[in-house]
Amino acid sequence: MRQKVIIAMLALVAILLARNLYTISMLQDEMRQGQIFRIIYFHVPAAAAAMTGSAVALVASILFLATKNFRYDALAVAVTEVGLAFLAVNLVTGSIWARVIWGVWWAWDPRLTSALICWILYAGYMILRQALEEPTQRATFAAVYSIFAFTDVPIVYFSIRWWRTIHPQPVFFSKEGSFPADWSRALMINMIAIFLLYAVLTMIRLRQEQTQREIDYLRRTLHAI
Amino acid sequence: MYPHTLTPVVAFMLQAQPGFDPIRDEIGRLQRNFQGLIWGFVAAWMILVGYTLMLTFRERKIRREMERLKSMVEESERR
Repeated sequence: MRQKVIIAMLALVAILLARNLYTISMLQDEMRQGQIFRIIYFHVPAAAAAMTGSAVALVASILFLATKNFRYDALAVAVTEVGLAFLAVNLVTGSIWARVIWGVWWAWDPRLTSALICWILYAGYMILRQALEEPTQRATFAAVYSIFAFTDVPIVYFSIRWWRTIHPQPVFFSKEGSFPADWSRALMINMIAIFLLYAVLTMIRLRQEQTQREIDYLRRTLHAI
Repeated sequence: MYPHTLTPVVAFMLQAQPGFDPIRDEIGRLQRNFQGLIWGFVAAWMILVGYTLMLTFRERKIRREMERLKSMVEESERR
């Protein structure tokens, strides 16, 4: 059943992205930036998906500490790992965008720096999990670390409002926003597709984590025999 | 930096330079712009496809390990 749901969701993602690729290519160029502005259709949804993932990881980590139920730990690791891939997409597309518009690949700007720190923090979460052998200790330490790592997420989000930055100000869900309706519609469709892709990858990763637990159980059984 | 993003005075000074061809400059800007967009899309999909491949290989490895352990448990229970 789960396999069928995953395949159906993947098919929907493929249809939405293929349809939207055509829509995006037909949009009018942005006046100052030209064609490169279309990177926003992957740059922003990837960031939004990664940030949502880190919020889910935070909730799952708190629930694990409260209940000691390993399902929450599995969910936390699944969303965090997939989130790292999406945050990498956000950072790399942003860097390419910066090269074209600002003339540099990277600037130590509050938004860029805090996003990079966020990626490093969650990469640290994955490294921490690799370093600890005992499952309960690993899950507990990882949950505490995940809660700590989340403190960077609001900083990433609000950095462009709190400090002077060369990163553009938000154009969605804000009073200063000035995105035309057809551009917003295309972005929303891409947002849905990217979030669906995130969910599918999380489901696959979650299943792997559950199977890994069964493997650990079988190993212990073998050891006992 | 391209003339259209500079202040009008600086843009005027640049365009006044001998040998400056605004049409060639604009074509170059559009080309760099388009190349950047393509590289951005390629990079985004390379990362996601790379991660998906990593998940697929891991899935295979986990399944093989699971089958191996199950057969070992069955064998040791038979003994």
